[in-house]
Amino acid sequence: MDGILLQQIVNVISLGSIYALFALGYSLVFSVLGVLNLAHSALFMWGAFIGLLVTDRLEMPLWVGLIAAMIVTGLLSVLLELIAFRPLRKRGAARIAQLISSIGAAILLVNIAQLLFIRVYNRVEAAYPRGLVPRQPIIIEELGLRITPARLIVVIAALVVMILLQYLVTRTSLGQQMRAVAFNQRTASLLGINVNYIFLMTFFLAGALGGLAGVLYALITNVVDPFIGQNIALIGLTAIVLGGMGSINGAVLGGFIVAGIQIISIDTVGSSYRDALVFLLLFAILLIRPQGILGQPESTRA
Amino acid sequence: MDFLIEAILSVVRPIGITEPVLQFMLVNAILGISMYLLLRTGMFSLANAGFMAIGAYVSVLLTKELDFALGAALVVAVIVCALIALPIGLPVLRLRDIYLAIATIGFGEVVRIFFLNVDNMILSYLNTFQDAGLRRYELVGGGRGVRNVERLTETWHLIVFLIVIIFLLTRLQRSRFGRAMVAVRQDERVAANMGINVVYVKNMVFVLSAMLAGAAGVFNGHLTRIVTPEMFGFDRAVDILAYAVLGGTSVWAGPIVGGFVLTALPEVLRRFNEYRGVFNGLVLLLVIVYLPGGLINPQGWRKLWASARRRLTGQPAQPEAGGG
Amino acid sequence: MKKFRLILSVLFILPLIFVSVVSADEHDEDADTPPIGFWEECETPQNLPDELTIGAIFGLSEAVAVYGIAQRQAVELAVAEVNAWGYLGEGVTLRVQFEDSAGNAQQAIAAMEKLVVEDGVLAVLGPTLSTEAFAADPIAQENGTVVMGVSNTAIGITDMGDFVFRNSLPEEAVIPGTVEQAIDALGLERVGVMYGDDDDFTISGFDVFVDALDDNEIEILSVETFARGDRDFSSQLTSLIARNPDALVVSALAAEAVQIIIQAREFGYDGPIIGGNGFNSPAVLDQSGEDAEGVIVGAAWNIGDPDPEPSSEAFQQAFVEEYGVAPDQFAAQAYTGAWLFATAIRCADSDDRADIRDALAAIEDFPSPLGLYSFDENRDPVHDPIAQIVFEGAFLPLASVIEGAAESDE
Repeated sequence: MDGILLQQIVNVISLGSIYALFALGYSLVFSVLGVLNLAHSALFMWGAFIGLLVTDRLEMPLWVGLIAAMIVTGLLSVLLELIAFRPLRKRGAARIAQLISSIGAAILLVNIAQLLFIRVYNRVEAAYPRGLVPRQPIIIEELGLRITPARLIVVIAALVVMILLQYLVTRTSLGQQMRAVAFNQRTASLLGINVNYIFLMTFFLAGALGGLAGVLYALITNVVDPFIGQNIALIGLTAIVLGGMGSINGAVLGGFIVAGIQIISIDTVGSSYRDALVFLLLFAILLIRPQGILGQPESTRA
Repeated sequence: MDFLIEAILSVVRPIGITEPVLQFMLVNAILGISMYLLLRTGMFSLANAGFMAIGAYVSVLLTKELDFALGAALVVAVIVCALIALPIGLPVLRLRDIYLAIATIGFGEVVRIFFLNVDNMILSYLNTFQDAGLRRYELVGGGRGVRNVERLTETWHLIVFLIVIIFLLTRLQRSRFGRAMVAVRQDERVAANMGINVVYVKNMVFVLSAMLAGAAGVFNGHLTRIVTPEMFGFDRAVDILAYAVLGGTSVWAGPIVGGFVLTALPEVLRRFNEYRGVFNGLVLLLVIVYLPGGLINPQGWRKLWASARRRLTGQPAQPEAGGG
Repeated sequence: MKKFRLILSVLFILPLIFVSVVSADEHDEDADTPPIGFWEECETPQNLPDELTIGAIFGLSEAVAVYGIAQRQAVELAVAEVNAWGYLGEGVTLRVQFEDSAGNAQQAIAAMEKLVVEDGVLAVLGPTLSTEAFAADPIAQENGTVVMGVSNTAIGITDMGDFVFRNSLPEEAVIPGTVEQAIDALGLERVGVMYGDDDDFTISGFDVFVDALDDNEIEILSVETFARGDRDFSSQLTSLIARNPDALVVSALAAEAVQIIIQAREFGYDGPIIGGNGFNSPAVLDQSGEDAEGVIVGAAWNIGDPDPEPSSEAFQQAFVEEYGVAPDQFAAQAYTGAWLFATAIRCADSDDRADIRDALAAIEDFPSPLGLYSFDENRDPVHDPIAQIVFEGAFLPLASVIEGAAESDE
């Protein structure tokens, strides 16, 4: 059984990396603006879709697809800020209104993607070309472990992105400005920070991260349709709340914890109860530590 | 009553609102009110899809298996919702904002997964403790749901129920308790200093809201003829929120209009065929961006009108705007 | 605000550009003897109005669109053929009014009410999901309009009334035979089972699989579940494969099936994988490639029949020409459904709904892509299912591969 346990740990790491990558962009917008962007899952899907068009239709290599996806989803994310978030902020609307406008934007993005899918592929699903990454799994015989190159890429990418993001937020001037805006918008603008610019940059980064997550997810699952974001949306939300809203490390930690519980539950209580277990744990953690595991106690977020 | 319903339908039928659509509009208006109560007290709870599920399942089992009348099933189901809401509310309502939202989404998911698996739970209980030796046990049908439910809900039930709720709601808002709700939303600490029992108010509203959502579930279950766990997932929780927010939370008419509009919209947009979803998202986005306070919000309309007039009179010509 | 409008217009124009860049070209079909239809059995109708409208309720948005869009394409193809070949007589045009149900019971009810009561269509195809059928079909029944499910496999669909038909073979008609053949051929003793526990289709398949396995005294080592839309099955598969099953038995739809096949191979499992109707999609071969080798499928549509019905061959050809992709079982059943409606109208020679119902129920041995097709007295489909195995990259009948293997052994 040790072989299984080890393999399941590897599975947790690979699934957790996907959740963490997805949750990072979510978390970034929340930490700077204090709003939930429910269209993030639509950006994730668009990333996978753009990656598909570039590698399949234009027959370009994977790295081109990755970059193209990140740029397009980054720009789409900026568009979201301009259409769905900024006008509401200017009107001084409640944050809950921004939540609803992000839902409207998500519906719009998913439906536009569906129209495009049908025009390009004559159906609403399509697969990444085979052979984009080697398929032969890497086997460690003595431990009975297997991992495919695609999953390894995801794990490494998650690590790299997390480190880069951490560096960007803590060491660069953009990161400092983002943190200042996150702390207090008015103070930040009094300090001469162009708050709107910081918001745009935050949205671009978050969108690009979402797009990256989408392409990497599609590398593992091969098939893309306009609805792949829907299943991961709730998991991502759970991950950032569990780990601590507005904390980058928290989002990553949350992603791994959710993946861990899901996978442990399959070997213990059975796969039917796996999400029930996730939410019960969430419940328990919120009651003990409402701000999440790594979150800062704070009472003004909505 | 029949005449009234016929009159309403003859007006709205040409735009695509048939009687079943009208019925779902009324059900969703009840859901909108259940959310409105929560938001009015400053509670961002998304548990009501779960309570709707409980209401639907309890009542459907009662009418189908035990031949209850709809009214009796409604009473029992609503009481069950209240009894479940109470112990859930006490710990959870200490949370606030997004944390409350996500914890209550968790509640909804647990309810959904419960109904998905309750048959198997009963089965393994029977087999381990009673040696029943059964291969299968069907109470709620797991993912298949409870089927062939009789369609007992009539349009007039919904209209009467809604009118009663509006009557009670307006009385509630004018009462001491209603003012306490607003006070709790504005500032819990100040409200407590004013002598308001904040915990009591929040829990009471949570229970009332759960009962309303449960009632909507009862009516809905007896309209759709089938009740499955998938009908009450995350999407439903978000829809219920949208009814209240899009309609507006400043007056009771807001959530009702919100429920009406968001239910009717996809049906009215059927003429756009494959562009239906695009328009649906676009309308939602535009309404909330231009009227962040919701559709029923006189102040918002006034502002919108003022800015429109300013634009019309101040800058009459915009030649470059059409160039995109 | 100007910027806002500009952005909005860009948002709108983007898809339109794509539309104009990638547009499907028109295709003219010119066949002397149509491969499908009761051309001889029923006289060319004389009493039909110039335009006849049937309805179709499919999931054209939300996640169910993965199946609903293929259904719409197949119905559009069938109706274009019916009209081009003058199946309903000179100058008579058959129209289809499509309505989207988004996989949602409320919208299915609204769509059915619109089609049957407001638009007064002659008959309705769909809805896509069994859940929607249980919600919406009673409206058609109450209004004396035929509704035919082309993808409803749940038990009890046609019990809703004498106007409720389906042409989708339920899992219990498909799976037991497949399981028996597979056991005989492969000598299975212990299997691991996986199924989606939140979907009528996959639950029905699971129940039938378990019964069939029990009847054949096969040991079930473990049962794992997943949810619709899941794409990572690593933990379930790790757990199942560790128990060394002789075969994996999977009740899933194509989207999940593909992932399960690929990931099972990634975890080093190279034994047979047995699936139901949901596996019967070209996507399984296209997307899982060599990983699909050894997959055994019990299905209603014999996509890999080496000696196919002419209508099946013609359908596949026409579908590929029109849409550039191979049809799946959903498409084959929807296509057949539309042709069955057209045939009922032709044979009834009437636009009376009750006449159409009677003519539909009376259809016998119709040469469809699904094989020689009839309805039984419960308005359920009767035609031969087929057990197939993926062998050297193609679906082949399981029986023929077993025989071939036996011969080469001798």
